[in-house]
Amino acid sequence: MKHDPRTDTALDLSLSEISALTTRATRGAGRTWGEAEEAAEAACWLARAGLDWAGALLEVLQPPEAGADCALRTGIALADAAALSGPPKAQRTINSPCFLLPFAARMADQTGQRIRVTAAETQIVLAPGACPLMVGPGRMSGPALVALAPDQQDQSPCPDWPQTHRGMVLATEYARLTQLMMAFTVPTSAHSRAGAGAQGDDND
Amino acid sequence: MSCEGLNPMPQARNFRRSPDEVMRLVRMGCSHPTRLSFLRQLLRRMRAEGWRFDRPVWEIDAKGVGHAVYRAIGPVRTYSLVAFAHDLPPEVRSDRVIATAWDATFALFDGSPTLADLDRLAANVPLQEAGRISPRELSLSRANRSVRLFDHVVERLAKGAQPDASMLKETGYLMRTTAVYGSGKFGAADRSAIAQRPELSAPFQAEMLSVWLTRAFTVDLVEHLARAKGGDKAARLSPELKRALGVGNSTGLGMAPFLIHHPVLLNNWMLAREEALARVRAKIRVGSTERAGFMSALAEARENADLWTSAHDIQRAKLADLRDSLASIAAHVAQGWDQSAAHPWDDLWCWGQETLPLEGQEALLAAMLEPHGALIDGLGECMDADEDAHFAINGAMRVGELRAILRTHYDWTLGIDYTERAQCARFWYVSEDKLEPRLGERHEEPGAERELPLDTGRQAAALWQALQDQPEDQPVAHLLMAAPEHRLAVRRAQITARHPFAEIRDNLIAAEMLPIDILRCKLAFFGATRFDPRSDRWVRISLFQDAPYPEDLNGGGHEA
Repeated sequence: MKHDPRTDTALDLSLSEISALTTRATRGAGRTWGEAEEAAEAACWLARAGLDWAGALLEVLQPPEAGADCALRTGIALADAAALSGPPKAQRTINSPCFLLPFAARMADQTGQRIRVTAAETQIVLAPGACPLMVGPGRMSGPALVALAPDQQDQSPCPDWPQTHRGMVLATEYARLTQLMMAFTVPTSAHSRAGAGAQGDDND
Repeated sequence: MSCEGLNPMPQARNFRRSPDEVMRLVRMGCSHPTRLSFLRQLLRRMRAEGWRFDRPVWEIDAKGVGHAVYRAIGPVRTYSLVAFAHDLPPEVRSDRVIATAWDATFALFDGSPTLADLDRLAANVPLQEAGRISPRELSLSRANRSVRLFDHVVERLAKGAQPDASMLKETGYLMRTTAVYGSGKFGAADRSAIAQRPELSAPFQAEMLSVWLTRAFTVDLVEHLARAKGGDKAARLSPELKRALGVGNSTGLGMAPFLIHHPVLLNNWMLAREEALARVRAKIRVGSTERAGFMSALAEARENADLWTSAHDIQRAKLADLRDSLASIAAHVAQGWDQSAAHPWDDLWCWGQETLPLEGQEALLAAMLEPHGALIDGLGECMDADEDAHFAINGAMRVGELRAILRTHYDWTLGIDYTERAQCARFWYVSEDKLEPRLGERHEEPGAERELPLDTGRQAAALWQALQDQPEDQPVAHLLMAAPEHRLAVRRAQITARHPFAEIRDNLIAAEMLPIDILRCKLAFFGATRFDPRSDRWVRISLFQDAPYPEDLNGGGHEA
């Protein structure tokens, strides 16, 4: 995607672009491929929910502040363990609470139970397969104390997923993610370039 | 795939080939298009649903510069190919991804474009990757002329004559696309936004529609230029020659990782084809209609093989195998095939397995499927995939079960010594200049530390080693906490346990690995013919040769 990073306008990306950019930027930031794949899935989930996927991702890719856990690693561990131990009861300080939501949603899917995430003054209910129901100011930047718990009493309906399949990103965020992405690319070698096209010109 | 309950022929299960046999690159690299190929599915649907087609805009000047709109009008929705024709100097014509200008550029628009839409597309589509399209577009593509043939056809038609038939058949197309982007690329609509539409639910239907309408555009363009040059005496292309034309395509490594990145989808493609073969093999008689259809498919395959040429040594050897095989099949069918056997099609198949090289076996498969549309066409509906549904790792799985999965599905890699130079000779990476997949030589080029995780066999073997000292009842979640570097391999193994055709069962970083084998498999599922490698990682192919045109389908049309 071509754009002018000097202006901090909002750019509209497809989910496919968000996934590719997130995978590569996460890997470029030095995370494992497994984490990169998980980050891409999570970023697309956030974008579909209309949440700030790019801001949350950039927060995750920063080294966590002392005493705060990485939302990506924490989310992966909790989601992996969901089928073992059921809905979690956890409370910890997380560097980017927003990025924990897709993993809490997966826990809800795996256990078939609603999960309530509380981060500062915002509460989010995640029902299996549903769009997140958010109550509160909605600011979920971190680090913040985050609590996860089963939500068996609250049966208020969760909103339907929006029909849009896009996500917004500020130009400055896009530039930063692109910068991270470029850290994992490789200059094309002469050998590879030679084999990547036809032998000879294409005016035949 | 969840179509098992609808299976009209459960006994076919006994005739299925194993993934260990099917998922080897040497066999995948002999794939042929079948009636389940995606372009065939598109044509069948449009014919069955009575789609209509028109060309509401044709603003192309005498030099061949301008734009046109082709509409495909289905029972519910309309799709429009917006084509831009350019005046391209020969010195900038390149099929490679580094090109910045083309003879023609295209977008498939969702609906009928307004003038404002056309203005927006005119400002972006000719720029391709450097432009930006919107969710109203389903694909973005470009094409270059096959210069020698294109000019020849215009010259001949302008004089009121037909082009040289042998020259036309030899090349097979007037233009070749050099990229067809869909699925959210460069701002286009995501696959998830359109996958619920019945007409687009099968894989790559928007891309196939775009290429099919592009084919009509290429013929309209040569006839237009011939009229501009020859005036009233100009001829139109004869229907026979016109039908033999397809759309070419130049493609390279960029499409190879797709099959590795989409294991569930790959499984569903392969499983549908394998189930189709198994159903035919399970039949207990050969009907006269089926026999005639098979003979016709065989004759067409032989004609195609005669016209199919390649300068690449590997492909030339395969073509020789193919021609010999088709002749052997024809002779065996005439004289040796026991049609009174309990399962006569299986009898023929088993003969082929024992007698023919891989190229001939896979050609036999395609010919056997051809006359059995009623039995197998429904499998086309099982070839898409809800990949998100299979993304989550089952952390409760025990190490013992994971080990058993590896033993069952990854035996092909567990014995490979990946420290050997030849077994890890290559590495896949993303290029800095075009952000495209590339293949490097690990021991000769820098960059291996930024390797893409396409070394699926090596990862599985490493996981196998890591499991050796782990207790059988340890949950996978605990394993991954301690060893997160195995996450990709665990996910692939869990997917493969449920989707046995999900994994290419070969070392994708070996010195002897041929990327063109991956390309041929994928392109055969598209419906590509005349596979013609230009290197071990770059090919030309043809799409829609001998297929109907929009005007043929408008009134009912031909068998697709």
